[in-house]
Amino acid sequence: MQLLVLGLFLIFVLRLWYLQIHKGQEFADKAENNRIRLHQVHAPRGLIRDRHGVLLAVNEPAYALAIVREDSKDIPNALLHVSQWLNLDLSQLHETFDKGRARIKRFEPQILIPSLTFAQLAVIEANTLSWPELKIVTKPRRSYPQGPLLAHVIGYVAEANEDEMNNDPELSLGDSVGKKGIEYTMEKRLRGKKGLRQVDVDAAGRQLGANMLIPPQVGSDVRLSIDLELQGFIDEQMKEHVGSVIVLETDTGQVLALVSKPSFDNNLFVSGLSHSDWAIMRDDPAHPLQNRAIQSAYPPGSVFKLVVAGCALTERVATPGDRVFCPGGFQLGNRLFRCWERRGHGVVDMNRGLVESCDTFFYTMGDKLGVDRMYPCAVQSGFGRPTGIDLPHESPGLVPSREWKKQRFNDNWYRGENLNMAIGQGFMLTTPLQVARYNAALVNGGRLLKPQLLADAEPDEQARLPLSDSHRDFLVQTMVDTVEGSRGTGRRIALKGIRLGAKTGTAQVVKLMAEYDKKALKDIPYQFRDHAWMTSFGEKNGRRYSVVAMIEHGGGGGAAAGPIIKAVYEHLFAEELQ
Amino acid sequence: MTPIDRRLVTHFNWSLAGLAFVLFAFGVANLYSASGFRMEEGLTLTSYYRKQLYWGSIGLGGMIASLLFDYRHLRTLAWPFFVATLSALLITLFWGKTIMGAKRWMDLGLFHFQASEFAKISLLILMAKLLSMEHEKLGWKKLFSFGGIGIFPVVLIMKQPDLGSALSLLLLMGGMIIFRGVKGPVLKGLTVAVPALLPLGWFLLHDYQRQRIMGFLNPGGDPFGAGYHIIQSQIAVGSGQLWGRGFLEGTQSQLRFLPEKHTDFALAVFGEEWGFVGCVLLLFLFSAFLLSIVRTTAEAKDGFGSFLAAGIFFYFFWQIFINMGMVLGLMPVVGIPLPFISYGGTSTVVNFCLTGLALNVSMRRFFFKKS
Repeated sequence: MQLLVLGLFLIFVLRLWYLQIHKGQEFADKAENNRIRLHQVHAPRGLIRDRHGVLLAVNEPAYALAIVREDSKDIPNALLHVSQWLNLDLSQLHETFDKGRARIKRFEPQILIPSLTFAQLAVIEANTLSWPELKIVTKPRRSYPQGPLLAHVIGYVAEANEDEMNNDPELSLGDSVGKKGIEYTMEKRLRGKKGLRQVDVDAAGRQLGANMLIPPQVGSDVRLSIDLELQGFIDEQMKEHVGSVIVLETDTGQVLALVSKPSFDNNLFVSGLSHSDWAIMRDDPAHPLQNRAIQSAYPPGSVFKLVVAGCALTERVATPGDRVFCPGGFQLGNRLFRCWERRGHGVVDMNRGLVESCDTFFYTMGDKLGVDRMYPCAVQSGFGRPTGIDLPHESPGLVPSREWKKQRFNDNWYRGENLNMAIGQGFMLTTPLQVARYNAALVNGGRLLKPQLLADAEPDEQARLPLSDSHRDFLVQTMVDTVEGSRGTGRRIALKGIRLGAKTGTAQVVKLMAEYDKKALKDIPYQFRDHAWMTSFGEKNGRRYSVVAMIEHGGGGGAAAGPIIKAVYEHLFAEELQ
Repeated sequence: MTPIDRRLVTHFNWSLAGLAFVLFAFGVANLYSASGFRMEEGLTLTSYYRKQLYWGSIGLGGMIASLLFDYRHLRTLAWPFFVATLSALLITLFWGKTIMGAKRWMDLGLFHFQASEFAKISLLILMAKLLSMEHEKLGWKKLFSFGGIGIFPVVLIMKQPDLGSALSLLLLMGGMIIFRGVKGPVLKGLTVAVPALLPLGWFLLHDYQRQRIMGFLNPGGDPFGAGYHIIQSQIAVGSGQLWGRGFLEGTQSQLRFLPEKHTDFALAVFGEEWGFVGCVLLLFLFSAFLLSIVRTTAEAKDGFGSFLAAGIFFYFFWQIFINMGMVLGLMPVVGIPLPFISYGGTSTVVNFCLTGLALNVSMRRFFFKKS
């Protein structure tokens, strides 16, 4: 062991002699020149465009105030001055500084205020000479020229939080990262790669020269399937309505428009939303942050009758010719399940059952099929699971089953619940996008496609409707009859020369009390009015679209949603209609 | 508690204790220089040198505690200690605090506790107990059973990941086993097997660890990445020349080009400010310190004490060897601190406790009572 100690002593004495005496002068010279710092250079984020190339998300230069700790003799004093110049809360500044300091490497500027107004910029510029630790950093900032019009689709970027930085080593303090919408799902594609710049400084930290070592790589652009013009048109048509409208290209699954009202200005989030602004938005009873097309699930109402009819045909419970007598309701035990038409529809076949949306007919179908056969049909038709659209937080909706009820309520499934399910009430919940996709599949040959938001995405077939070709054609024809027939619930959207089909629906909000039963819509308090559904397709010259509108508290299906859907087709087929 | 015996005082190894304190004083002075100008620390942290003083006083308490009892009691405590450390390591792995991507610390509210430091002590005690029970040189079977015990803490620490501590544990164990002696064929086998297994270890390393080794082999290849520490610390040490730049005068450390200057690279600050003369003096102090422990291994009254002292020797020896080798560019960058010189709470306390344990063995060398 003595030898080990001797060896240690000798080796290191020799090494020290070599470094400090033999090459000492050389290293001393190097030390003198050792004044190089490395700075990150931000890469601009990829742009987002609509299908025709119109810009939807761009980068603007923004000015941030940063501090370089190593250049400061007295940080609290510097922060105090910043707070005085800009009239900011000092403790807030200290908090920002303390929170970020651990994440900043030596000599890296740490951002204190992410975006400065021009007035603030001027004040700071006037003072920086005597405060070398304060630096103005330019970095690209995201801006959304369309603001609320596409906020739900595009989402927004904001400063990366603690979790995001821990999970992604490429992110550093003050970096923007996609939080919602396409900005979130396409983050990897949109984000570029940061560059590295070598900066030579003197002993006081002042910059003498700079040299780009690794140039930053710009993020890739993204072109959306959205047609900005159409989106804007629908947005106007929605007026003050609360709800959503979706336009799909049936054969590709491309989303041409996705409108959710009310909306919010996504630009507000980019430079950091103040706590009070955030609270206002969060507590707004109209929930502007909610993307109603994919995050809100409603009872489908009569729209679901299409699925039940298809299921009855596939399961051979009924043929198109089978008739049911509607006396105005369906008696089950001692309870009468009423048809919306109190006077009764008389003898109804499946076509009339759909065209006039006869509840009694579907009570009969539901009773014959039962939940055990309706459940798989609905799931195979794309309900009860997310569509897979490239947006975060999509709701899966809900298709109830015997097992689900047992688990959820610890209760058996009752026969009456089959009837409610068959007319799309009860536990059933669907998102507008699920309905639009189902509708598209009815007319595109039964292919359930993933709704695509990217213009260059190939059609992605996820499943097929559980329907034979002839049964599907039959359902499509009933939708056409719903528009063209004199008693069809969708007759108000008819357009000459365009093949249109539709199905209306009403999603009950509360079981209307008897006192409202016979009143006109305007006399019912807003929050008690039913939600109005309308799903439709339109076809001309080989172009086919599926359009769905869901108007919250819009009352009966056709009345509120009809005019909007009609306007959309007039717009889509403007050339053909001239 | 042993009744006070006059011989305990007369046989107290004052030079060993004195050397530890002189080294610690050097360390604190050096930290004062390394952290004196860190104005930004004034916001929330007290300066490192003050914290180090505070840790030193806790260490002094630990040192006194480690020499008050008869070290032979540790024999019965060896296994419980070991099991307790393993559990602490497991807890760290699952619920530990993540700092700079590694889970090494347990948050105990007042301070962060680094279980891997205590793993070194408990493994040392356990090995001393096991080796002192062997009456002949070790064969393959014993070697593997001892190695098998030691591999648990090593693997747990590797997982954190803390390559430096895992390596120290392995070297500590290896040193103690070689000190006990192995049978001829085993020795021959090992001299062939260990170099052959080294390349295998490459595949167990993390990317950043591989980069450090590549950086060591070719520091110029990536001067701002993997090779940065190596180049910068050599520049700092080298520019100290014969007499050094003087206390608080180091430009490299004051301008903060030097990374980790208060922890693993503290020697670089020292080298820059005190030059060749100061460094050789420091080396001399370390050598005297180590030799004093070596003497304890020879004088100890029983095998257990002798192996304890040997373990303590290797504990310090490897740290000094690896840390100096790294700072002076003779070895890849491994996160191992320099005893008494580098800043570090847990390690300072452990260093003092182990010094205390060596003193304990040394001052009880004239007890002839067999246990």
